[in-house]
Amino acid sequence: MHGSSNLLNWILWMPLIGAIGVLLLPKAKESAVRWWSLLNTAITFALTLVLYSKFDSNVPGMQEAFTVKIPWISQFNIFYSLGIDGISLPMILLTGLLFFLCILSSWTITKSIKGYFALMLMLQSTVFGVFLSLDFFLFYVYWEVMLIPMFFLIGIWGGENREYAAVKFFLYTFFGSILMLVGMVALYYATGQSAESFDILALSGGKFTELTVSMFGSTLPFAKIFFVFMFIGFAIKVPVFPFHTWLPHAHVQAPTAISVILAGVLLKMGTYGFLRIAFPIFPGAAVYFADAIAWLGLINIVYGALCAMAQTDVKKLVAYSSVSHMGFVMVGLAAMTTEGMNGAVLQMFNHGTSAAMLFLMVGVLYERSHHRWIVRPDGSKGFGGLYTQMPIFAIIFIISMFAAMGLPGLSGFISEALIFLGIYKKYTTITVISLVGLLLGAAYLLWMFKRMFFGEVIESCKSYTDMNNREILFMVPLCIAVIVFGVWPSPILNIMKASVGQLVSMLSKF
Amino acid sequence: MQLNYLANLSHYVPELIVCLTMVMTMIVEATYENGEKSKPLMYWCSIVGLFCAFVVLCLSLNQPPTTAFFNAVVIDPFSTLMKIIMVLGTLGAIWLSHSSNDIYNPVKPEFIMLGLGVLVGGMLLASANNMLTLYLGIETLSILSYALASLRKNDERSSEAGLKYSLYGGISAGLMLFGMSHMFGVLGTIQFNGMAQNIANLTQNEILILIPSFLLFFVGIGYKIACVPFHMWSPDVYEGSPLPVTAFFSIVPKMAGIAVLLRITISFFSNDGVMQYSWLGLLQVIAALTMTVGNISAINQRSIKRMLAFSSIGHAGFMMLGAIVLGVDGVRSVLFYGIGYMFMTLAAFAITSFIQNKYGNDHFERFSGLIYRKPMMAIAMTIIMFSLAGIPPFSGFVAKFHILSAIIKQGYMTLAIIAAINSVISLYYYLKVVRLMVFKEKEDDGEIIGFSFVNQSVIVMLVIPVVVLGLFWAKIMAVADGAKLFIQ
Repeated sequence: MHGSSNLLNWILWMPLIGAIGVLLLPKAKESAVRWWSLLNTAITFALTLVLYSKFDSNVPGMQEAFTVKIPWISQFNIFYSLGIDGISLPMILLTGLLFFLCILSSWTITKSIKGYFALMLMLQSTVFGVFLSLDFFLFYVYWEVMLIPMFFLIGIWGGENREYAAVKFFLYTFFGSILMLVGMVALYYATGQSAESFDILALSGGKFTELTVSMFGSTLPFAKIFFVFMFIGFAIKVPVFPFHTWLPHAHVQAPTAISVILAGVLLKMGTYGFLRIAFPIFPGAAVYFADAIAWLGLINIVYGALCAMAQTDVKKLVAYSSVSHMGFVMVGLAAMTTEGMNGAVLQMFNHGTSAAMLFLMVGVLYERSHHRWIVRPDGSKGFGGLYTQMPIFAIIFIISMFAAMGLPGLSGFISEALIFLGIYKKYTTITVISLVGLLLGAAYLLWMFKRMFFGEVIESCKSYTDMNNREILFMVPLCIAVIVFGVWPSPILNIMKASVGQLVSMLSKF
Repeated sequence: MQLNYLANLSHYVPELIVCLTMVMTMIVEATYENGEKSKPLMYWCSIVGLFCAFVVLCLSLNQPPTTAFFNAVVIDPFSTLMKIIMVLGTLGAIWLSHSSNDIYNPVKPEFIMLGLGVLVGGMLLASANNMLTLYLGIETLSILSYALASLRKNDERSSEAGLKYSLYGGISAGLMLFGMSHMFGVLGTIQFNGMAQNIANLTQNEILILIPSFLLFFVGIGYKIACVPFHMWSPDVYEGSPLPVTAFFSIVPKMAGIAVLLRITISFFSNDGVMQYSWLGLLQVIAALTMTVGNISAINQRSIKRMLAFSSIGHAGFMMLGAIVLGVDGVRSVLFYGIGYMFMTLAAFAITSFIQNKYGNDHFERFSGLIYRKPMMAIAMTIIMFSLAGIPPFSGFVAKFHILSAIIKQGYMTLAIIAAINSVISLYYYLKVVRLMVFKEKEDDGEIIGFSFVNQSVIVMLVIPVVVLGLFWAKIMAVADGAKLFIQ
């Protein structure tokens, strides 16, 4: 055991320790609960930074120094096995950062504070679990357990229609993951229940191309059918059209911090699933279905953008913009070229920051206005002249908006440019159409901005105060991130390069 | 000869303890004029008796399998573990009956005696080794169940339940007996091992007789498990019976039926052939139907009790899948499923029972805002609901995982997908309970008296295994793995 090998354990369990601490604190001490949670997430974030500093970016596979592998249920060869590589590290950093900022942004929560912060920290622990697991069973357990805190966070602290949103979210994701479970068990028997049966790394490499499986009365190729199963499981999370219908509801109803987590981290779990499980285990099937994935991604881009354009609720608009931006990730993945894949992983990170910014900004606004209508149902303006009313807010909003739009100099541009470079040769048509999607993206964001920020200050907006220090505090790190990674993306690109390169070279053999 | 017979009794201690307890409770009941005095005594008597039976069963878990009473019963680890589940289920139901208004207001001490009787029948079924014992077990179990279902004499619904139960029961027992007599005619023996040997070498004509006779035989078991299409009685009986009885019905007769089904399937149909093909085909269709119909019917229920009853049909369908596997994998997953299911069912019914005591009904709305009144209970119920739906890290998930992996190993992919989708359907109605408990405001400020410290502790004790078995199941799985079926 190396000295740093416990680091992943600490990262994984630290939030849970925090959650237990929250539960032990007395109910009346509300500020103690807040400060404790903030401290806890700050420590966790610091730990992820330590991990980043110790990370060796030249190693393509799992970093030996951090790997943890302990038998959990030895009868079934299930291990408590954690590891980190260049694909999971950006996600870990993102999770650490966003939860810290979200705790800060949740300062104004008043309903059952203890429950809220405890669930939030539990959620963080399970998200880390998903990104760190190297055992398929462990991955699945975390993937599912994650639903429980999320369900309650949307359902208790959400908007008016929160119950419907929470149940829909839960059922959709559960449907997807139960198909994944069937696939997982089938893999377990396909490998002869050996010690590698749940080991994600040992399963990968395209071992199942020859196998067949009989299902629904016919014999089907094993790899393809279970790739489709897992695709559905992960696609619901991303969400890929046509599995996206849960997302607008969940996003709109969830409280601000939860929308941020949902857009910033949970959606990435879907694409991470492709990178870690579906593509490496079934590379042949992945290549076979690449065209379909690319087209679905394109539908995401264009359809998401068109839907966003039609929204009158600003949070729903941002939610659909997530659908659109995750489409870029899907297209990048489907390209299976070095540039495309790197772009996709970078886009996962960048969308995490930019979508988080937009949701946080909408949340800041909502705390003042208690509505989110760009145009109210009766046709009158919901907001107007915010630029003059709240200048700091407007400036930060502009940064987040341009980052989401992919303006050169901000982070979104780099990843989208990489994706386009990666797909152009293989999917010229898709590249051209998705460029139109990019244009649509600029259109709906700018149009929204025009309607909300320019013009006369309308009567209801006159009472709004500008952002306070706490709000500025949680926006600044993200602003710095989008600007710095916009001009200098190498800190993130460097760590993922080796791992992504390995995946691409493996896929290119099929 | 006589001495031999008596020596056999040493294998039969748990059943004897249960019988003795039953006699004791009868004596206690008859001694006191005043029901109020006999009630606690009967209660403690039965608790102690069942606990002794439980301890003896646990101690004999590792003993080598034997047969007793001229091969009429077989005592193997499998039957012992099944009996443990049933004894614990009965123990739980009796504890529940102690504080439920459904039974004791007015005093209905018969529950304890009848329940113990049903338990004896169930234990007999679990270790039946010939058709006669099997039939005896089924009848003991059924006849006492009819009385149990109509325990609330003055309640129309309860009497209706009893009548329906006995009518259905009578018909299915008759059909079953008819099938058994055909089997005897063709195979010339009622001993399971002899029958199994003779099944291996049959002529075409004999097979033609035997297949329908097994179909008739299945009616009897199917009725006990309440699988589709023999489940029609169960909603009314579950609805009409007092709540502890419903809890009891969804554990003991069900597990007994599953035990018989496993034993029959593994004893008779382990060899390839037409017989196996048709029996397994029948089971597959019925298991798939049972899950689907049970879960879909549960969606639209207003009463939690009815919802749990329908969902227990769904769970029975899931456990039937274990029989199709025809091997150790199936047996151990069913046993594991049974253990978890027993804890979850008891705890869910217990919480429902206290709510029902307070409001007089157990409609979903009565659970509104439970988290703000009794947080521990709401959390416990939430865990149970998630576990029943098969969400990790709870035992329900591990149980479903094992059943799924057992059938996937045998290549029943379609069945596995049907089972998986059923989990999603079931999650919908389980979430309904959670949603009401956690997301809704409470209806009124009244105290729910049933949730005393002791009762809450018992419920928490029932929920702890649900969580522990979901995280560290290797130990129990090893026990279930060792509980092999013995065919003699």
